[in-house]
Amino acid sequence: MKSTMTHDLFRRAFGTFLALPLFFSASHGFAQDVTDEMLLNAHKESNNWRMVGRDYMSTRFSPLNQVNNRNVKRLVPKWSFSFGVLDAQNTTPLIHDGVMYVTSSHGRTFAVDARTGSMIWQYNHQLPEDVGKTMCCDIGNRGAALYGNKVFVATPDAHVVALDMKTGTVVWEVALGDYKHAYTMTVAPLIVKGKVIVGLSGAEYPTRLFIEALDAESGQQVWRRYTIPAPGEPGSDTWGSDPDNLKYGGASAWITGSYDPALNTVYWGTGNPNPDWDGVGREGDNLYSNSTLALDADTGAIKFHFQYTPFDVWDYDGVNEHILADLGARKVWLHGDRNGFLYMIDRTNGKFIYGREISKVNWATGFDAAGRPIVNPAKVPSYTYEAKDICPASEGGKWWNPMSYSPSKQMVFVPSREICTDIKSAKGDRVVGKPHWGIGSIKWNKGHGQLVAFDARSGSKKWTVEAPSPFMSGVLTTGGGLVFAGTPEGEFKAYDQDTGQELWSYQTGSGIVGSPVSYFVDGKQYIAVPSGFGGWTGWATIGGGGAPHLKDSRKGGYVTVFALFDE
Amino acid sequence: MRCSSDLCRFTSAIALALLLLGAAHAEEEVRNPFAGDAAAAVEGKQLYLKMGCYSCHGHEAEGAVGPDLADDAWIYKPTDAMIFNTIAKGRRGTVMAPFADQLTADEIWKIVEFLRDKNRQRHGGKQ
Repeated sequence: MKSTMTHDLFRRAFGTFLALPLFFSASHGFAQDVTDEMLLNAHKESNNWRMVGRDYMSTRFSPLNQVNNRNVKRLVPKWSFSFGVLDAQNTTPLIHDGVMYVTSSHGRTFAVDARTGSMIWQYNHQLPEDVGKTMCCDIGNRGAALYGNKVFVATPDAHVVALDMKTGTVVWEVALGDYKHAYTMTVAPLIVKGKVIVGLSGAEYPTRLFIEALDAESGQQVWRRYTIPAPGEPGSDTWGSDPDNLKYGGASAWITGSYDPALNTVYWGTGNPNPDWDGVGREGDNLYSNSTLALDADTGAIKFHFQYTPFDVWDYDGVNEHILADLGARKVWLHGDRNGFLYMIDRTNGKFIYGREISKVNWATGFDAAGRPIVNPAKVPSYTYEAKDICPASEGGKWWNPMSYSPSKQMVFVPSREICTDIKSAKGDRVVGKPHWGIGSIKWNKGHGQLVAFDARSGSKKWTVEAPSPFMSGVLTTGGGLVFAGTPEGEFKAYDQDTGQELWSYQTGSGIVGSPVSYFVDGKQYIAVPSGFGGWTGWATIGGGGAPHLKDSRKGGYVTVFALFDE
Repeated sequence: MRCSSDLCRFTSAIALALLLLGAAHAEEEVRNPFAGDAAAAVEGKQLYLKMGCYSCHGHEAEGAVGPDLADDAWIYKPTDAMIFNTIAKGRRGTVMAPFADQLTADEIWKIVEFLRDKNRQRHGGKQ
């Protein structure tokens, strides 16, 4: 009796205190489970970065301000961590209770002490040696997801793997498609109410792709939403006369969606129709390619959609992310598209509000009232006509690498480029498991990079930073008034949010094609950035190239972590 | 087994040298049977496109996700045998996958000749 009472008293008196060692012992395997509440409130706390977009709105905004525009010059590297593999390091590291969970190219996942860079565990997915045959754009990965006591990763060979958060051992593993038929994955999963949601890559090959929700505990399928309708379903009449287009029309889903809990809606982007540049035989809007699908989070049912580029013959792969913003009474999403426009769309109904040029646009001359682009016929390639100087090129505008939004300033910061192309299409062979581009000739014309800041409410440009090469990294904004972004030359830079003035730069050793994050442990704010050049780089070199100086850029594979210099 | 005597170490060194010389000799003997065959180069390009090599290396082998295959900057000396083996077996730790399951030896040699021809073109007809 005495013993029990003592125990209860002790627990009541010191319960809060006892929680601290658990919290600070995270790197030794005592991290608390990731809960729905943590994910729902991710935007309200500063220490962690528990999903790739940081919060369900995908703002990539950290409220932390220990590092700010007055002291950022004192930012110095604290540790670095090698992945041991090269090629595209497209990841966004995650932070939970003092541990970094970071993926790399070639199917690897690591847990690392976020204070020191010491490795806790490593998971190497055993890849089939021929997986590179059906991955158009390198064997990269865009990050993990956390829920309960598990870490979830999607693999190049289209598996979803649940790992024990403390040990990295496999809890369950499911295959969602046949990689030999180009059903592959690079996406970071999204966790919504106990479900692990992923999207497939493969629209450079004859495929019919989908978004899928799995039960986080078991890996069992909860729902699958094909991005191309089945015969007879709404939208199936938008693919021309060839019924095989409904089997092989692509429309990938390789960028993580966003989630509005109040509307119980997941917003997920879809990519280009296949073949990329040849529209002969698929005349029509090709639904739901190049669209945002507003999906019921519980069932995957399409509530509504908005299509950015109907009947795409430019490979304006519209998968890019959605930033959910509340602007006054308006609930909107912001989307920077490969087709060159920054969009604001009402997220309650999919209605178009505005489309603004991020970069030069000449393939369209404007929009109708519903936001449908008015196509410039001079910029439509065919088998007999080489369309010259189409702006932007396939990579935008804005490419896949994510932009960031400052809720306090209501500004959005878009990594961008000014590169245009010459295209002539051609009839290709549709063979399952082989690339099918429909290209006769293609040239990228030399251009430059830019980072563009917009006032989200009006869509007006506030400032533009020009650079020799496109910004290929994701963007991070912070409560310290800073914008962080990386270059393909490997420079990690900090800019002033209000003016775009460059305040700090550090050479990481290899091109930055992943996304920076910020977190807070033991009284210190850290900034982390992956680096390692790779991914689709044909735009840089083919036919003269948009950035020929990037040819044979040095590869790498590491994450570098910074904090203020300790006096 | 360990060598403890000078004689043993000398004998082992001679054996190793002979082995390496033999390997080098064998490597030199592997020649592309289609070397200089213009028709084979044309057929090689068709195979290169059909296999989807262009998606990584570009339509003219000028490089994209994968390296430029028509220039002179190679990691390993671009012997016929090395190029053949890379196409057939892939390159571990990179995106380059093996293609021996989809191409005959003659087809691989024709792709090698296509790449050699592209290199010659870049040098104005001289290799």
